[in-house]
Amino acid sequence: MQRPEIDAPQLPSKKDHPAGKCLMSRRKMLFSSGLATATVMVTVNAGTAAAKMPAMVTTYPRKKIGKLSALKTDQPVGFEYPDEGAYAQSMLVKLGTEAGGGIGPKKDVVAFNYFCTHQGGDLSGTYKGDTKSLGACPLHLSTYDLTRHGILISGQAYQSLPQVLLEVQGDDIYAVGVFGLIFGRYDNLQG
Amino acid sequence: MATPYYIPETNVPLPPKGAEVITTACDYCIVACGYKVYRWPVAGGHDGGPKADQNAFGADFPVETLGPWVAPNQHNIVLHEGEPNHVVIIPDKETEFVNTDGDSSLRGGCIAQKCYNPQKPTRDRLKSPMMRIYGILQPVPWEFALDVAAEVGNYVRTAHGSNAYGVKTYSYQYIENTYAITKYALRHVNTANFTFHDTPSDVSSTPGFRDAGFDNFGPAYEDWMNAETLLICGTDPYETKTILWTQWIMKGIQSGQKCIMMNPRRTAGVAYAEKNGGLWLDINLGTDLLVVNAIARVIAENGWQDAEWIKNWVNNKWGSSSGFGQGTRNTPWQWRTTWGKFQTNGYEDWKKWLLGQDEFKPEYAAKIAGIDVKKIYTAAEWMAKPKGGKHPKTSIMIEKGFYWSNNTGNTQAISALAIIVGAGGRPGQVVGRAGGHQRGGQRGGKYPRNKSPMKVPGRRRRALDTDTWTMSGHTRFAHVIGTTWIQSMCGSQQLAQRFEELTVGNPHQVRSYDKQDIIDTLKRRADSGGMVVINQDIYLVDPIGNRYADIIFPAATWGEETFMRANGERRLRLYNKFYDAPGEAKPDWWIIAELAKRMGFDGFDWKNSNDVAEESARFSRGSRKDFNMIKVAAHREGKTLHQKLGEFGTNGIQGPVFMEDDGTLVGTKRLHDTTRKLPETGPAAGNVFNKKLTHFNSQTGRCNIQKSPWSLFSDYWEWMQPKGNELWCTSGRTNERWQSGFDDRRRPYVVQRWPDNYVEMHPDDAKARGIESGDTLMVYSDRVPSLKETILGVEGSDYSFSGQMKAGNVELTRAAVTGVAMVTRHIKKGIIFMDFLHTSQPANALEGRIVDWISGNYNYKMGVAEVKKIGVSPYKNTFRSMSFAPRDIT
Repeated sequence: MQRPEIDAPQLPSKKDHPAGKCLMSRRKMLFSSGLATATVMVTVNAGTAAAKMPAMVTTYPRKKIGKLSALKTDQPVGFEYPDEGAYAQSMLVKLGTEAGGGIGPKKDVVAFNYFCTHQGGDLSGTYKGDTKSLGACPLHLSTYDLTRHGILISGQAYQSLPQVLLEVQGDDIYAVGVFGLIFGRYDNLQG
Repeated sequence: MATPYYIPETNVPLPPKGAEVITTACDYCIVACGYKVYRWPVAGGHDGGPKADQNAFGADFPVETLGPWVAPNQHNIVLHEGEPNHVVIIPDKETEFVNTDGDSSLRGGCIAQKCYNPQKPTRDRLKSPMMRIYGILQPVPWEFALDVAAEVGNYVRTAHGSNAYGVKTYSYQYIENTYAITKYALRHVNTANFTFHDTPSDVSSTPGFRDAGFDNFGPAYEDWMNAETLLICGTDPYETKTILWTQWIMKGIQSGQKCIMMNPRRTAGVAYAEKNGGLWLDINLGTDLLVVNAIARVIAENGWQDAEWIKNWVNNKWGSSSGFGQGTRNTPWQWRTTWGKFQTNGYEDWKKWLLGQDEFKPEYAAKIAGIDVKKIYTAAEWMAKPKGGKHPKTSIMIEKGFYWSNNTGNTQAISALAIIVGAGGRPGQVVGRAGGHQRGGQRGGKYPRNKSPMKVPGRRRRALDTDTWTMSGHTRFAHVIGTTWIQSMCGSQQLAQRFEELTVGNPHQVRSYDKQDIIDTLKRRADSGGMVVINQDIYLVDPIGNRYADIIFPAATWGEETFMRANGERRLRLYNKFYDAPGEAKPDWWIIAELAKRMGFDGFDWKNSNDVAEESARFSRGSRKDFNMIKVAAHREGKTLHQKLGEFGTNGIQGPVFMEDDGTLVGTKRLHDTTRKLPETGPAAGNVFNKKLTHFNSQTGRCNIQKSPWSLFSDYWEWMQPKGNELWCTSGRTNERWQSGFDDRRRPYVVQRWPDNYVEMHPDDAKARGIESGDTLMVYSDRVPSLKETILGVEGSDYSFSGQMKAGNVELTRAAVTGVAMVTRHIKKGIIFMDFLHTSQPANALEGRIVDWISGNYNYKMGVAEVKKIGVSPYKNTFRSMSFAPRDIT
């Protein structure tokens, strides 16, 4: 079976910025290049004090959401990110097993948004330690694998569960971005 | 093709106020949720905004739960009249039927990614006709390709007979297309070498239903919700007809419905049912008939059957023989009843037979099926035990897991069970198929069964088994439309080998640029015993298109042409065109018309899809999709059929459609509705009434209660039993992938989830073989049985599997597919499950290529295989693709 190439998103070049019009809003860039945006985010490795910079500058806040030493395996902790608006409720959890995007010495600390990316069901309270999953969503039964970047296990979500990107500094855990569009919003940062 | 490494977006453009809104329905599963397409030009940059007065939804963002959220997968950019346009495609939040909460599955939910966009993985849509010249498929103009196809086709018909001309086509991809295809293949070419995508022979998929008198799609969706007890055999509707579950059955369960699921896998719907007062009948493969009849036995022994219903609605001796020998000859009912094994004289006769079979004793059935015998008693109680003198309202739903394993026997047994619990003819007490594909078939000709050489001595003729016919070298020209054929049929690898021999392995290959040379070469190919293949599809399919076909016709699809189709409760909708087909791709009806005209057939002068629809309307009269009166109403108002149907939007209208005296169109909620009162004066004007509106599809209008002997299938089942290290190897669909994955393998989101075919295994079976989730497995068999010649025999019993084995007409072939191990608690021990139609790793390759000797269908679910670890897949130790978590988390 052929292994296909990964498609790199086309970023605007200098010639798209005529003099005096350097500042292009993301929406304007969208329509003129005819592309849906792809924010390329690089996963942060455990233990590095300096975060790798995202390929496209965004304005996600850097928010302290907890301490590594305070986390107990399979006991999710709630927080809000990237703001305190609708659908910002998220969860931080130590899975006890290595996970995609996981931080901490065991790379097992991950965070996800709490709203099902199908029709917005609330997933709080549905964490399962035996399968490291969120769900089944009370609305239409979707389940998500938290060891695999919130991929859908079984269900109807139109995308993986948005993963909150984390960084660790000493014992402090920071939320630094979101991978995937949060339910209800048309732009993670604009609502 | 799509990468397994999907990078999700973090924003999405919104449709502006004033964006065009076009209604349509989903192209995928039977449910056909209603969708709205919001379309606006890319040029000008007038995207919508987050305030209600800034976007086409009239909603403030962030939207509420169940609101008009747009996921990035629901947006695309297409060409409309040559100009780039944004499209946002989301479920219709205002629809009143089917997906009533504006719900959708992820399949239809991501349907925007189906649209052709050269910057996305759909870039490899077929855009030009092609011809294999010097071994390579090269683009050629339509006229060139059509001329060659027509001339070679006509030659084969006249030199080798119409049965040498094979047509293998989808049965469901819109009424206009299937009407054109069947008009050409059946009325004009008139070949018995014709069949649909899901069977080697053009026969009823559910023979027992048909002989009982049940239409496959009689029920309304609300009936599934309103049943007090619902038995579902052979499917988890959550997985494959999701909205039927989430909007209807789930709501029934939440109101107290007792849902019984007969299935060897405990997927999300099964787990939900079990958790909420339901029952899981976790039977071993192929043992359904025993359990169904055991349940029936418990009911009969306790006297719980619905005696009043039976008295009024079941044929006695005279009724079941009615029309026999007179009236329509050569019907499947007569074919099956001349076996003398199925007909009964009514309930008492049937009961006597049932109680006389030891294998239907609950303890025996439970043992063979590998279930707790208490479950049989519980199921019988829930389905039939009267409470306060009243029988429970019970309904029964079946699908392929059930009727593609013991096709004849299972459908006969379940029909009898349905009859005795009083299901089939009242609200909430219905029987039917859940459905797979939507109902988009309209016949433009009659299958010439008399031309089929498959005549068993003393019996009527059966439709030709086109796979064995082709394997035996009798197909010289094959027109393959919208189906993989090879991977969709059993014994895929054996079929592929034969295809190769007959096409590219034949000495007569096109090595010329001269049109006449090309034609002559292909004629010689056919004369020498080889086969010429024309493949008509939207993508180049491996291997039938890219490796074997001589000519490729590029087809246009959903959204690229306006079409009509019905869903599983006969709800007809207009599927509007909203963007341009790629390149030179044309709708199937057009391609057929052009080919047919060149072949000298009359009646193919349509100018547009509406013309085809209007011509087909009169042939729909009396059928479950009868839409003729919509056309009548349309013409009265100076509109076209399409325009009139379009007025119903995503609500559509349920067939059969009638016109009242004042001209209003009314749909039919359910068939076999014994509570319905039709006008005393009978049908007025162009309306057609028939039995199935208020009675059943038998000669008398009452049901036939049939016997279902286990012995007609048990020889195959016992031979198939896993021996030594073998496991039962079965297959089916999974929620996130539709069909062969022709669209899903071009959706990065889904490819990431299911990059390769998977092999679900129970932990005990995995441990015994040293297998862990993520390992790469070889799934193989040395004994995939297949029929050598079109059946061989003298006496009736020669045609059973063991009879064919004895006659030396069964060969055992080898097959192997690879897959990624998924060790999971949700499958029954002793069974492995794979995606049935992964085109590069088709599980069908391991399923026996033996047609059910009574019905002519394959028993797709019946296979065995050994499994061994051959390495580790890339998904075992990385985190970005697949998941090995179980599907039964509640």
